[in-house]
Amino acid sequence: MSLAEFSQWVQGLDFFTSLRESALAYPIIMSLHLSSIAVFGGLILMTDLRLLGLAMPNTPVSDMIAQTRIWKRIGFVVMVMCGVLLAGAKLDKYYDNPYFQLKLLFLMLVGVHALVFHRSVYGNAAELDRAPAIPPIAKTAACLSLVLWIGILSFGRWIAYYERPGQVGSAPATTQRLSRVLLTR
Amino acid sequence: MLLAYDPATNPLNNNEWAFPLFECIHIAAFAMSVGTIAIVDLRLLGLGVRHQTAAQLVKDTMLWTLAGLIIVITSGLVIFTSDPLRYYYSPAFRLKIICLLIAIIYNYTIHRQVALSKSPPLVSMLVAAVSLLLWVTIVFAGLFYAFT
Repeated sequence: MSLAEFSQWVQGLDFFTSLRESALAYPIIMSLHLSSIAVFGGLILMTDLRLLGLAMPNTPVSDMIAQTRIWKRIGFVVMVMCGVLLAGAKLDKYYDNPYFQLKLLFLMLVGVHALVFHRSVYGNAAELDRAPAIPPIAKTAACLSLVLWIGILSFGRWIAYYERPGQVGSAPATTQRLSRVLLTR
Repeated sequence: MLLAYDPATNPLNNNEWAFPLFECIHIAAFAMSVGTIAIVDLRLLGLGVRHQTAAQLVKDTMLWTLAGLIIVITSGLVIFTSDPLRYYYSPAFRLKIICLLIAIIYNYTIHRQVALSKSPPLVSMLVAAVSLLLWVTIVFAGLFYAFT
């Protein structure tokens, strides 16, 4: 089974078909996906800014990491579950979308990032509190985390604007918006 | 001059990159503003960051909330110019703007006051829940605009 056939099969499953065709379920899941970015993505962003020494100087690094950990995890799970539903419903359209592939790659790199920096940064927060200044390794981790997450966000948005070469019919977001702007005049 | 405005001449509608770029800025900025407010709300709900008081957290996040709000509103205004009439007549967008105004006023009055003073846990929790609900409603309404 090729990737294309697999994608068609997934998207053709009854569950994903009804999800794709539902006028309400699809936007609700997308809204949940976006709301998790707002609430939980914001926690990741602020943790990174704290590690860089830019934000929330009165909150110890250890609290910033440990006291928001559970919510970042819950948020991550909700975000990914919604993402899987959204992607599954349109997998045939997405599987060869380069931005979709980049987003998946960056999500895997987030896992690598967590593994690499667990011992020195995220599992070592009490040590970071005692250090006179935030060590370069923690700042490196924060910078890389920012790059990864801003990348995931941007690729996620870019997915909607990609058109498979030679494909007619499924207009990308730009075309849809432009025809709307021009038609309503 | 404004009456003769034609959105088709807007760079957002003529450059492939402009619109999605502003969307990314908009999303990143609301993650910052809503995320920092959520930190205070988690504390008010007693669900996280418990070693700090809500008052300390408000002071610690204030600047970033404000910066996020300024960027999110500015980028939102730019996106609005891409098709002002459609936004104006959209019920989802109107709901979004009404909720946004309420949420901003709420954030800088009731929410702030409760976070800065020692309030009974039940009041704090209620205030935090309303805050989260308002901000999430804005995100939902923003997305439903695109689908209706």
